[in-house]
Amino acid sequence: MSGIWIIAEKKEHALELLTIGRVLAAQMETKLSAFLWKDQNVPEDYIACGADEIMLAAPGSEGQSLDAFIPVIAAEAENNHPDAILFAATARCRDLAARVASRMNTGLCSSCTSLAYDAADRTIKMERLAYGGAAVQKVICKTRPVMVTIPPGTFEQAKAEAGRTGIQRELSTPAPSVLKVIEKKTKVRETKDITESRVIVAVGRGFDKKEDLDLARKLACALGGEIGCTRPISEENHWLPEELCIGLSGVQVKPDFYLGLGVSGQVQHATGIRQAKVVAAVNKDENAPIFSVADFGIVGNLYDVVPKLLEALKRV
Amino acid sequence: MPTIITCFKWVIDEAYIRRGSSGDLDFSAVDYKISDYDRNAIEEAVKLKDVHGGTVASLTVGVPEATKGIKDSLSRGPDKAFFAADASFNNLEPSQTASLLAAVIRSFITPYDLILCGEGSSDLYTQQVGPRLAEILQIPSISFVQKVELKDGKVVAERRVEEGVEVVEAPLPALVTVLPDINVPRIPGVKDTLMASKKPVVTIKKEDLPPFPAPCMETVEMKAAKMDRSCEKFGTDTAEIARFVDVLRKKALI
Amino acid sequence: MDFKLTEEQELIRKNMREFAEKYVDPIAVEIDENSRHPEELFQKLAENDWMGMPIPVEYGGAGTDYLTHIVAVEELARSCASTGFTVSIHVGIIEMLILLFGTEEQKKKYLAPLAKGQNLGALALTEPGAGTDVMAATTTAVRDGNDFIINGTKTFTTNGPTAGTYLVFAWTDKAAGRKGMSAFIVTKGTPGMKAGEHFKKMGLRSSQTSEMVFKDCRVPQENLLGKEGNGMAIAMTGFDHGRIGIAGQCLGIMQAALDESVRYAKQRVQFGQPIARQEAISWMIANMATDLSAARFLTYHAAWLKDQKQPFSKEASMAKLFAAEKAMEHTIKAVQIQGGYGYCKGAKVERLMRDAKVTEIYEGTSEAQRLVISGNVLR
Repeated sequence: MSGIWIIAEKKEHALELLTIGRVLAAQMETKLSAFLWKDQNVPEDYIACGADEIMLAAPGSEGQSLDAFIPVIAAEAENNHPDAILFAATARCRDLAARVASRMNTGLCSSCTSLAYDAADRTIKMERLAYGGAAVQKVICKTRPVMVTIPPGTFEQAKAEAGRTGIQRELSTPAPSVLKVIEKKTKVRETKDITESRVIVAVGRGFDKKEDLDLARKLACALGGEIGCTRPISEENHWLPEELCIGLSGVQVKPDFYLGLGVSGQVQHATGIRQAKVVAAVNKDENAPIFSVADFGIVGNLYDVVPKLLEALKRV
Repeated sequence: MPTIITCFKWVIDEAYIRRGSSGDLDFSAVDYKISDYDRNAIEEAVKLKDVHGGTVASLTVGVPEATKGIKDSLSRGPDKAFFAADASFNNLEPSQTASLLAAVIRSFITPYDLILCGEGSSDLYTQQVGPRLAEILQIPSISFVQKVELKDGKVVAERRVEEGVEVVEAPLPALVTVLPDINVPRIPGVKDTLMASKKPVVTIKKEDLPPFPAPCMETVEMKAAKMDRSCEKFGTDTAEIARFVDVLRKKALI
Repeated sequence: MDFKLTEEQELIRKNMREFAEKYVDPIAVEIDENSRHPEELFQKLAENDWMGMPIPVEYGGAGTDYLTHIVAVEELARSCASTGFTVSIHVGIIEMLILLFGTEEQKKKYLAPLAKGQNLGALALTEPGAGTDVMAATTTAVRDGNDFIINGTKTFTTNGPTAGTYLVFAWTDKAAGRKGMSAFIVTKGTPGMKAGEHFKKMGLRSSQTSEMVFKDCRVPQENLLGKEGNGMAIAMTGFDHGRIGIAGQCLGIMQAALDESVRYAKQRVQFGQPIARQEAISWMIANMATDLSAARFLTYHAAWLKDQKQPFSKEASMAKLFAAEKAMEHTIKAVQIQGGYGYCKGAKVERLMRDAKVTEIYEGTSEAQRLVISGNVLR
């Protein structure tokens, strides 16, 4: 018995997991199964994108918490002995993963940023960040199943292939959980999702007041991009919504061009921009850490430099 | 009057980690601290006690030298501390930590109403110990909590999920992991620190606990994260700004 | 010999560091530029028990030993030398003198509010014509019934404009020479005592310094601190304690200078490599680190001697002399290391250098310290 399993609440995350799941399943010569909550997603899409098998779970009633599925997942795993279970690292699935891992006395690699099968010693080599983003930790899991949570956006979504087939089977309905969701306050997105932006202009503590952020907005507009920020701007000053906060506790962005204005570049923020293609920064402190993670730097006062940039861009 | 347990980890303060020349990490000059989010957990536990009365116990698993961490935790308001101490309780992984915490709680701090943990520790940030501990104790857990209240034998918590906020209710006993947004931890005053040494500490030896599991994971390597970019600098005069814009244009970024 | 601080001392240092980073660093530049006394900051210091650490709990303090207070002053001065100095003189001179020489009533009436940070203490000793030469003072306190009438002018009174409790030194019997000066507790608002304008200083600009003018200032005899005629001895005891505090303040200045120099030297690239790799720079930093370590042991030892109730005058003098001279030397080097940037407003080392100079002057000039030390060694 073996297999690679993927578990995610949202379809787009499941498709990302199917990408890496497909690779692992091929390398380990085993099948790929996807766990799916019936009302939320379409099994055929998952099969088209690479799943050999769909395990269908009856969705919980309104107010039901996902932890009701812990015994279901654990029971299935005990019967079918998957090699690895990949979870999307969303809030609910992280909990699920940790509690299932505990029940099964197995290890869990959280927030895994890369994983690869090593055929030489038959282990899955996993990488994750540690010490606030300052270090990269490489781990292997000695127990089975290997459990992993993978942050959304780590992998590209799998593409559908015509003619793929797979089986579907239903899982038992779990007993209700003692946890009750008594209210849901859905956040209305105030702004565009900057994880999709091609160009991002980030604002940091170098800005004196909220009104001055308009300078950054103008520049973002001129560059065809969006504004983002560092944690103090959203979490302390509340000048921008938290969905624009880039960093370890915010979003990870992968733009073609990132420009930090008055951003010092502490490691917690820098980890959010690691995957940007080109990084540039404007800061009046020539020793600001942002310059050591940038391709281009302008040491100067942003209030002086940004208007000059806007002028220069007009002439292009 | 509830009995609240607040778990904390005594971790390397990452601000003191230096980078060796070959990319490895230099831990020779490090200082230690209570993990950041655990401070929020301790603060929240004490705030709940201010409202409901009862007692707060801080709890940690670590090496015997971590007595300073115990004092630090007590200086923040808990009434007593439980310290499972052994030289081998170093670099434990979440499954082991959770197992030891559960063993201490079952033997020494039962009955209890609420367990508070930080969402994740500032060193490895696996975010597992809380839920794992709850699973072993077979109690409900609520994570990513930014607000928590006790009402009529239940815990009511606001948790942050991707789509927004969920308000979740669970019967006690329960476990909650907190986000740093939940409160601003106090800076202990001088008197708080001096009084901490007078509060009771129960030190538990490895022999007094059931054997804990072998590690499931193995760390193959821990290296400094690299960001290899060589910063080309531009001046602030008009000509230099024009040159910068030109470089961007040539890279097809604008 | 146990060279380790206790866990409590380490935690208190850590908490002061966190406090300083949170509340002091953000305003340090502004209060220096505007020469402003940050009242709101001192209220926060009081809330966390920083304003009377070594004073017994029954008199409103936190009941620590003196070394713990010095460690806290060091961490505070590391962020702002002015703030560190204000706390040092408030605790180390005013509070300690009332603790050591005050009656039970005086301790309850004056020491407790000071230790709780409800008002600031000030030392009115130096005069326009009497600096190092304390005996050249002219301020007098003449008996009149159950009171004393004080007349004279004091200068360079730290916390002059902002204090609530003043220790004033005046001649009660000039003919008695060294045994003719007395110390008085005078509270703000006492008619006949007036603070002058705050001096514009090179450094330590947030600390408020002014003249104090006494014109027929009537003070009840209950406010005599210690015995009549014991003023000089009281003043010297005050300096012994205060000097350890100044040494602590200098440790903070030196640590900040070293931190700034290391940070800059690692990042500043010239001739294709960080300047930290140039021997000229790395040797400066080696010297700074060594001197700081030496100063620290001198200072902590002096505080330890006091806590052991052993004589510590000479050691306090040595610590202050060494730490102050090194603080000046290091801050000059720190500006040198940072070159043009270090010379500009906004650079921390620029403020450190301006702040450091006065440490060689107040609470006994370096020359006066050498007098004390040689007097002791050559006995």
